[in-house]
Amino acid sequence: MTSTIKLACDDAEVRPALAAWLDATGLEPPGDLTLDVRVGNPASASSDARLAFRQPGVVVRAGPPEGGVRLWWEVAPAVAEIAPGASVARVTLSSAAAKQLACCAGTFLTTVLIFLLRRAGWHHVHAATAIDPEDGRGWLLAGNAAAGKSTTAALLATRGWAVGTDDLAFLISGATRVAAAACRAPIALRDGGRRLLQRIDGIPLAEREKFAFWPEDLGGVWAPRIEPDVILFPSIGDGHTTATSLGQREALAGLVRWSAWVVLEPELAQPHLDLLGALARQARAYRVTLGRDLFANPGRLAELVA
Amino acid sequence: MNTRYQRHPELRLAPVEEEGVVLHLGTRRYFTVNDSGLTLLEALASPQTFDDLVAALVGRYDVTAAGAQESVREFIDRCLAAELLRIEGHA
Repeated sequence: MTSTIKLACDDAEVRPALAAWLDATGLEPPGDLTLDVRVGNPASASSDARLAFRQPGVVVRAGPPEGGVRLWWEVAPAVAEIAPGASVARVTLSSAAAKQLACCAGTFLTTVLIFLLRRAGWHHVHAATAIDPEDGRGWLLAGNAAAGKSTTAALLATRGWAVGTDDLAFLISGATRVAAAACRAPIALRDGGRRLLQRIDGIPLAEREKFAFWPEDLGGVWAPRIEPDVILFPSIGDGHTTATSLGQREALAGLVRWSAWVVLEPELAQPHLDLLGALARQARAYRVTLGRDLFANPGRLAELVA
Repeated sequence: MNTRYQRHPELRLAPVEEEGVVLHLGTRRYFTVNDSGLTLLEALASPQTFDDLVAALVGRYDVTAAGAQESVREFIDRCLAAELLRIEGHA
């Protein structure tokens, strides 16, 4: 697997590790995107007075007056900048950041990629993706880290579904429909999810207290891209699994909620929002409460949204 | 009243099924709007008086002038509270 995102890096230790990480994502955006990484002394966050947008471990400042976007990693000094109109993300890693490259790539550099991919018209949504092998419909499950996306994606994989991602998808405007490209990474289950699936295996992810499963480990296959026909906004409940149909306006509001970067960078916000609107028109959307009955009757979810 | 209202320049709109979602890039908040709200926000791309907005509703919906005035008044109050509008001039 390779990525079409180019990597420029002179550091003999960092380059091969980042090249392997980038290729493993399976991301193949069009155009000429470049991740330009050097090891040095990153600029301080205090040099940018713009309002900070925070997510765990990463600070983002974007938009006027200078335009473009800057990102800082809070775990160890590292900074990235994408200038207005540029298709190159210039990243400076401190030696401390370079020493924890896997963690840096999984959080900070992944966020840098999210902003770089916007330059190719690929807009992030916090969602899992899958394809129903029975009817070929694409599913997109959008929600936060505790919504049940990963466990549902894993359950679908055990049923032979193609799963793209449990967490990180990019919406793309196709010729006639909106597609969702997956960033390839294993499905990460907490111990509770693993127990519900009656699995005792998985690759331990000690730093995240989770266990990793590739879709293929569970009986599924990987789907690099889907065209969503169904959107689910899941949450975990105490009772039986239920689904409530949503109108397009509610679907769009839900997509905006789980596509938080839409509010940054004014010149990219409207195309991002338009893509979310097109997806809300394209797919049938449901608010879903996931119950434990799903594990005894995994076909229940597909029945509810048939 | 000569007060003219205009959409905040940092608003972005996405219409769906004649309704929509409004995103405010400045406050980083989003709102859903119904069909009449979307009609008003689309009109507010350029400066509009209260009476202009009432006329926009009366011209599009089966509503009395009094009903449209009440709707517009409530809409403007909510939009001003959420910083979705700018006021251009005063009487």
